[in-house]
Amino acid sequence: MSASLAPALDLARSPEAWLAAHPDLSNRLVFRHAAARFAEEDARVVFLEADLGGGSDPFEARHPQRYFNLGICEATMLDMACGLAHGGHTVIAHSFAAFGVMRACEQVRLNLAYARANVKLVCDYGGVAGAFFGPTHHAIEDLAVLRAMPNLTVVSPADGLETVLATRAMLQHDGPVYLRLGRNRVTRLDVPRPPFELGRAALLREGDDVGLLAHGEVGVSVALDAAKLLEAQGVAARVLNMHTLKPLDEEAVRETASRTRLLVTVEEHNVLGGLGSAVSETVCTLDLQRRVLRVGLQDRYDSRAGSHEALLKGHGLEGGQVAERVLEVLPRTPVFAVESTTRRD
Amino acid sequence: MTFSANSTTPGLSRDARTPAEPAGSGGPVTPARSGDGVAGAASDAGLALLPGRATRIRRTIVRLAATPSGCHLGGSLSMVEILVALLGRVMRVDPRAPKAPGRDHLILSKGHAAAGLYAALAEFGFVDVETLVREYNADGSVFTGHVNAAVPGVEFATGSLGHGLGLGVGLTLSHVLRGEPNRTFVVCGDGEMGEGSNWEALQVASHRKLTGLTLIIDRNGGQNDGPTEAILSQEALVQRLDAFGFQSLEVDGHDLPALVAALEAPVAGGRPRAIVARTRKGAGVPMLKGKGPHYAVFSQEHLRRALASLGEDA
Repeated sequence: MSASLAPALDLARSPEAWLAAHPDLSNRLVFRHAAARFAEEDARVVFLEADLGGGSDPFEARHPQRYFNLGICEATMLDMACGLAHGGHTVIAHSFAAFGVMRACEQVRLNLAYARANVKLVCDYGGVAGAFFGPTHHAIEDLAVLRAMPNLTVVSPADGLETVLATRAMLQHDGPVYLRLGRNRVTRLDVPRPPFELGRAALLREGDDVGLLAHGEVGVSVALDAAKLLEAQGVAARVLNMHTLKPLDEEAVRETASRTRLLVTVEEHNVLGGLGSAVSETVCTLDLQRRVLRVGLQDRYDSRAGSHEALLKGHGLEGGQVAERVLEVLPRTPVFAVESTTRRD
Repeated sequence: MTFSANSTTPGLSRDARTPAEPAGSGGPVTPARSGDGVAGAASDAGLALLPGRATRIRRTIVRLAATPSGCHLGGSLSMVEILVALLGRVMRVDPRAPKAPGRDHLILSKGHAAAGLYAALAEFGFVDVETLVREYNADGSVFTGHVNAAVPGVEFATGSLGHGLGLGVGLTLSHVLRGEPNRTFVVCGDGEMGEGSNWEALQVASHRKLTGLTLIIDRNGGQNDGPTEAILSQEALVQRLDAFGFQSLEVDGHDLPALVAALEAPVAGGRPRAIVARTRKGAGVPMLKGKGPHYAVFSQEHLRRALASLGEDA
């Protein structure tokens, strides 16, 4: 990566043009450029790294006095992040999801979540993006762990543009945020979308047969692929990008349940504890009376080598596989709208 | 290295309970010079007042042990002189403005010794002592059994061990980045040094040359399940801290002049400071015979005897 990419384009003012000029940057690198750019507007922002920065970080290049590669010590990095935030800084701390979330889990709990520290824990290698590195480097439980922590905002952007917008939004948000990214996938969704807002799901496609609720670089693109394939089968899919897993946009879930006959969650995470669980909880809590099909890792570790795409396919996280599952379980007969089932008149 | 007591250490400071000059709430602490504690005394004569403060803190601690749920008694009593030296002499803090921007920071990493810290904060005017005794561990109170950041003078919730030093490293770094002179004092237990995160943080602190950071280890030799040396040896702590890049020394942790001198001695070579304070669990309460229990719930009879041994009739 180069720290001096396309000086003529401003990532902050025209992110789409900036991304178009850098078509091969993974979202984790997009994040690093975005963080470096937005830190120009706020001298309080500091960046902590635990030896996984990759050697030539754009933030380090632009703000060497505010970039601290601490070495291999995730726990101390997150304790330090809280200390820095206590001193008035806005702290970005980066690691791989398996280490930043789970190795340093108690530091996150006590010193980010409980302390409501103004720390942004940004982790890549979410899901099985670490692929052939094996389960030591996979993170299929991170969202379950962090979603259970009060005060944390949990965000999983779907593509480069959303990564830029989420980076800006989380830096403007006063409080702890977890931002989850993949590894090398370069996702550039070609769909119109509403303005980005933390906690507000983005409707990407309207349809009244099945509601596909997804998050992340894999989940959303797979859901959109599945929606296209379903359309060819005469099945209209509503696709929602649930980029913020916490706080979850429950109104968007309710709306989708009321407009469709089946809810399907699509995510690169264990089906336990992530979006699949969050939507299921919401469906029960709000009495939405819809079946929820949870597409994701079916509660197993994956110890085989292979490419990211091969691993995803092994877990049914491919557009065609999702479309097939939907066709298998989609209720043949129309069901009543949610409002009708709950009314007594 | 053993540091000998030095009773001639100079230092001007104000008594917290009879402030010499007004300070705006939340305003910056403006010390006359490094080393001034606002809550101590005005001269070496003031140093002579510190033992009395230690005794009063111990009286409060044993009163907290006599509340219905008791307290972590041994480790609260062992660190009393450490807190007195810090709050009463060395640190720039203002109990009327506990969050003032210019303050020095105290992080009690061994947060189970909350009773000791709360009692010290009461002695130095951060909280009301009768409120503390009445509300300690009571329903809805901020005075929880492990340190609560909602208590004035407490910076972070601690007690899950092995976090305070990392927090202190980050806080010190924030002051370096801002060019501010605030200093950070972290008190750990010796048993707590079993937590690997401490050794991570030591490495970062020395690598970053965080001279504004002082680690004080309350070397009372005991932990929850018994003697530290029987469970996980902390032999040669001073040498280990030295090897990790700290300027390290060992003092008698109940010798106030020695503690003050150790805390005020200049640090050379861009090193953070570490002080291993040799203490005794239950120190200062003769009936505990210097090996006080880790946790205790005192009866009224216990309390009467403890207060009597501290020179007070219950």
